[in-house]
Amino acid sequence: MNFLSVLFIFSMAVILGMPVRAAPIFAAALGENVDQQAGTLNLGVEGMMLLGTIVGLAVLVYTGSYLLAFLIAGLSAVLLGLFHGLVTITLKADQVVSGTAIWFIGWGLSGYIYTALFKTTEIVVKPVPDIYIPYLTNLPYIGKFLFGEDPVIYLLLIAGIGINFFLYHTKGGLNLRTVGEDPLVAEIMGVNPTLYRYAAIIFGGFMAGIGGAYLTISIVGAFEFDMTAGMGFIAVALVYFAKWKPYRLLLGSLAFGAVYVFYLTIESYLPSIPYQFFEMLPYIVTMVLILYVGSRAHAPAALAMPYIKEG
Amino acid sequence: MIAMKGIVKEFPGVLAVDHVDFELYPGEIHALLGENGAGKTTLMNVLYGIYKADSGETLINGKPVRINNAVDAQSNRIGMVHQHFSLIPAFTVAENLSIGLKDGGFILKEEYVGSKIKEAEDKYGIHIDVNRKVDDLSIGEQQRVEVLKLLFRGANTLILDEPTSALTPQEAENLFLSLKALKAEGKAIVVITHKLYEVMEIADRVTVLRKGRVVFKSMKAGVTSDILAEAMIGKGVELAKYKKEEVKAEGSLVIEKLMVIGERHDTLVNDATIRLNKGEIIGVAGVSGNGQKELVEALFGMRKISAGSITMGGKDITSSNVKARVMSGLGYIPEERKTKGVAISLSLSLNSVIHSHWGAPYLVNKMFNYTAIRKLAKQIISKFNVAAKSEAALAKNLSGGNLQKFIVGREMLNEPDYLIAVNPTSGLDIGATEYVRKELVDYRNRGKGVLLVSEDLDELLALSDQIVVMYRGSTSPSVNQKDFDRLKIGAMMLGEGFTR
Ligand SMILES: Nc1ncnc2c1ncn2[C@@H]1O[C@H](COP(=O)(O)OP(=O)(O)OP(=O)(O)O)[C@@H](O)[C@H]1O
Ligand SMILES: [Mg+2]
Repeated sequence: MNFLSVLFIFSMAVILGMPVRAAPIFAAALGENVDQQAGTLNLGVEGMMLLGTIVGLAVLVYTGSYLLAFLIAGLSAVLLGLFHGLVTITLKADQVVSGTAIWFIGWGLSGYIYTALFKTTEIVVKPVPDIYIPYLTNLPYIGKFLFGEDPVIYLLLIAGIGINFFLYHTKGGLNLRTVGEDPLVAEIMGVNPTLYRYAAIIFGGFMAGIGGAYLTISIVGAFEFDMTAGMGFIAVALVYFAKWKPYRLLLGSLAFGAVYVFYLTIESYLPSIPYQFFEMLPYIVTMVLILYVGSRAHAPAALAMPYIKEG
Repeated sequence: MIAMKGIVKEFPGVLAVDHVDFELYPGEIHALLGENGAGKTTLMNVLYGIYKADSGETLINGKPVRINNAVDAQSNRIGMVHQHFSLIPAFTVAENLSIGLKDGGFILKEEYVGSKIKEAEDKYGIHIDVNRKVDDLSIGEQQRVEVLKLLFRGANTLILDEPTSALTPQEAENLFLSLKALKAEGKAIVVITHKLYEVMEIADRVTVLRKGRVVFKSMKAGVTSDILAEAMIGKGVELAKYKKEEVKAEGSLVIEKLMVIGERHDTLVNDATIRLNKGEIIGVAGVSGNGQKELVEALFGMRKISAGSITMGGKDITSSNVKARVMSGLGYIPEERKTKGVAISLSLSLNSVIHSHWGAPYLVNKMFNYTAIRKLAKQIISKFNVAAKSEAALAKNLSGGNLQKFIVGREMLNEPDYLIAVNPTSGLDIGATEYVRKELVDYRNRGKGVLLVSEDLDELLALSDQIVVMYRGSTSPSVNQKDFDRLKIGAMMLGEGFTR
């Protein structure tokens, strides 16, 4: 094999695997994006994803329905979100502290539920089947990439476009962003900050749960303890990288996915390098991206600040 | 017609509004006049529903109404432009106007906003480009956005809290024209102010508050500004003459050929040279935006100096940081009181050591000595007549004038050899203004140097020993007191004598 063909195989592998690896992080980041634009920083994404991983798996095992699995995984994370909302919006506690607590709760719950339900037997599930469009999917090179992913990926893409439209082209989105910039102004203009922040947190939780479920069901096919391995935090970071623009989130997630697949592909060729170094790669690349692009971004001015009325 | 009856509002320790009756008629401009802390803003915040009155009621056309929040106010068609604007700087004008808007559909449409703006433009002469970001607008333009916002929501009662305090005379004039057009349409307008000439110019009716009470109430016709001034500040307050004494003091602050380049590579301060001797007030005149702000920031160490030098008593401080400059004897009374003058949510105690907390007696063994700090704060409060409940009060609970007295006091008690004061009396009422001016002159008489940057030419003429004019970043040669001529300096502010 000459160098070029190796390169070609590598890039095909990376491109083909990229959307799948990007999906969980994109889902979670999309939710976090909406959260943050309403002014709530949710550092608990990691915990919410973890809860989603096990709930999604369990529901799939017991019902056999992918739809129910994703839905209930999302809703389970919404519960954690509501808790975060209660603590930070209603009781006005610090968002960072509450988010960290959410992370631990999700982490603990996921392991507990797995052990309680399945003891030590390993459960393996099949991923959501990919779609197949005659001719299109069979196109060389790009067919599989563009027309042969699983339906969740397309739904996420649609969600991304929808959220982008909502945030920047509708009044609801404008009101939501106002709450994130200055809740007092929102209130003066007749927009209820509490309502919008709760709505955002519910959406954020749901998306994180979906992301988690995707990880167990469609990527790994089984549950492992702490299997998100920091992806939730990368999702939070990606939101900064993307400057609160969903289309940039997509690019960021794809970059993360690409690097991830890249290391999966290359690691077997380089056994002398400890695999842990490869595992760090996507995270390091994401950090560098953020440093490079994210620094001059305009963050929602009231991000992570509780809204306390005076007088 | 709106009537407020027997309104009382007490804050912890302050009776801000004390049994006030206030009437507002359609087709009239009603000036609400009073010194700093008189309770003007509080009274209007009660009408607008931001504060709940402890007692008293509001009637609209004879019917009692309850206004508990901004939404209630809007449904009663009352709108208010606050002293601090309620705009989102990161949004465009169109976006700002659309926040919380109920009509016009779910999708954001700039054309919709644009067409409604057009109406306002034609009717009231309010021009604004809806696609610009609020951050990029001048204060005057931002205010237009605020007024539009109210009209957009169908307000027929407009409350404006000190609308001209940050406007240029030209912008203020435009605002008045728009207000008159609105009045002619039958809108009721309240203008909160402490500028007498504004009342004389636009008001139909005037109410004067002092210490939370109504002390004067009348139609404007037949009222003179002397009567109003007396009502506002009470009898017996002589407008001070500034006694300047011969001072013998050695030393000077020399700004030499200073250059400041901005972020966009534009020259903000160009070859500025000023020599400030001890025992002297040098006034810096100029239309705002001609580099005064940047000069001061560079002088105090908050902005990078590209070329030139600053020496203080012979010591070169060009590349020193703020702390080093303060320690070698520089003081600063910034224009932006709330953001640069104090840490707004800290107590007065902590704020009192902002420029002195790094050494004894306030810092002992690397720990704050709160006894000394509190003592200093108390001293500032009593010596400079700051109306505050105690030294533990938070800076944000002080009215504008009292906050300024506190800052002036803090800087002066720190005894810097050279004190920079930027628009030290803007937004202050007559009493507080006189007080601050007198303190500045006294400070000079004690052998200190004062660099007074002000947009108020009369203030500069009254206080300065010499005046330097800034135009497009450059400084004029200094003009001596004996050569002061209002018209001549006015012409220099517009560029006369500067090479282009
Ligand atoms: N939120 C608050 N908490 C405590 N005290 C307050 C509060 N708001 C105002 N005050 C006090 O109430 C009094 C009236 O304040 P207000 O702001 O109404 O005065 P004002 O007439 O608008 O003065 P200015 O011309 O300085 O704006 C002041 O003594 C002020 O310190
Ligand atoms: Mg006020």
